[in-house]
Amino acid sequence: MHCNFDWESMPKGFIRPLIRRTALVASLHLCFFGAGLMGIKPATADPVTVFAAASLKAALDDVVLDFERTADHQILVSYAGSSALARQIEQGAPANLFISANVNWMDRLGAQGLLEPDTGLALLTNTLVLIAPTDEAAPPVGIEDFDIISQLKGRPLAMAFADAVPAGIYGKSALRHVGVWDAVAPHVAQTDSVRGALALVARGEARFGIVYATDAQADPRVSIVATFPSDSHAPIVYPVAVIAPASRGALDFAAFLRSPEAHDTFEAHGFGSAAP
Amino acid sequence: MMLLDFSATEWQAISLSIKVSLVATLFSLPFGILAAYALARWDFYGKHLLNGLVHLPLVLPPVVTGYLLLVVFGTRGPIGGFLQDWGLVFAFRWTGAALAAAIMAFPLMVRAIRLSIEAVDPKLEHAASTLGASNTWIFITITLPLTLPGILAGTVLAFAKALGEFGATITFVSSIPGQTQTVPSAIYALLQVPGQENAALRLVLVSVVLAMGALLLSEVLARRASKRMNGA
Repeated sequence: MHCNFDWESMPKGFIRPLIRRTALVASLHLCFFGAGLMGIKPATADPVTVFAAASLKAALDDVVLDFERTADHQILVSYAGSSALARQIEQGAPANLFISANVNWMDRLGAQGLLEPDTGLALLTNTLVLIAPTDEAAPPVGIEDFDIISQLKGRPLAMAFADAVPAGIYGKSALRHVGVWDAVAPHVAQTDSVRGALALVARGEARFGIVYATDAQADPRVSIVATFPSDSHAPIVYPVAVIAPASRGALDFAAFLRSPEAHDTFEAHGFGSAAP
Repeated sequence: MMLLDFSATEWQAISLSIKVSLVATLFSLPFGILAAYALARWDFYGKHLLNGLVHLPLVLPPVVTGYLLLVVFGTRGPIGGFLQDWGLVFAFRWTGAALAAAIMAFPLMVRAIRLSIEAVDPKLEHAASTLGASNTWIFITITLPLTLPGILAGTVLAFAKALGEFGATITFVSSIPGQTQTVPSAIYALLQVPGQENAALRLVLVSVVLAMGALLLSEVLARRASKRMNGA
């Protein structure tokens, strides 16, 4: 029997429709995205592009609404992990303002001369808490009195990457401070972001999680079982800075972020003020 | 050779990645062939639904797929809870990483196999049937050998995709060294810290070498398979 199966044409055969499909999906996305950008409202001045740490989303969205009510600048916010945003800014991303969840990344941008001088300052603070699924949570106690190990019962403790993501670094330091890190470490399930850890606890898969107080407040399926003292880890500070060269809108919005009105909104979402 | 001087954690991530991808590919292969055959040859109620389901991981954001896996296969999920009673746990285990990788790679595997099944001349199968061969025998002796290059291509593509899976894995089973911390998740962790780019680069090179090696291997295997078939 002779067979003329042309195997070489086969991979092309399935890759081509794939490419076509991807292109279609991409162009559809562009259409929607473009319509979204243009359709919101006619901006009278250049829009301000803000790069902000993902943990700020709920609070900053509210602050932006307040700002846009009075100012004639349109604010576009891109939320992601501080590290991803900082790397994009290094590569020339068109950001006008950066709010980082971590001082190191802001310092790195400053060292490269990418920030407008004298616009950087510590804006917000946050608190680190131990959470459990609400249906398994005991009333909050001091972390020193809390026996994590005996309560894990084979289930993991979820936290962001302990050596990489800020929330994880603070968490590891806090567990060290209480003296349980070495015992807990084998049970730690690391996630790519603090919100990933929150989701694992909210689903009841993880017995405990370490997140920011603002994250715990955002999800009713989890409850705070202990709060880590502020001296158990490096200060949790969200610095803000205007990217050079500064635009009028970026400076206006940076000033608004420090106003009492914005401060009240941030506080309602669980953030603390870093202003002296 | 400083470049190849991997730490224990890095070796752990590399060997785990290979294990997870191999298991994911081998266990999904029978299902991949079945799904491809069903889509290529059978007409049945709900065929479009099956086609859509198979392709869903290709078009959904990986994080969404990972979250759906967590909801369904987690210890509190409908299927995860049931399987746990039988001793099969996915949550926070390497088996969960393999499941996530298999689901994400499945569409690529099925597409490749399906197209090569569709390319098989039905007259050959019909001829075998007039000579008295049963449907199963026809599938084993005619359809499967003719489809072999497509199966190989699909398998290797799925393996390479499984090696690179990150979004669904980290959402479903997080990153536990030795259990679920694969190469992509180790790279991700390294990139979060300023100044760790060089360590990340070494793992990036490993990923490139593994993926290229898999693709070359498939090329060789497919060439051999086609040569053997044409020479038969």
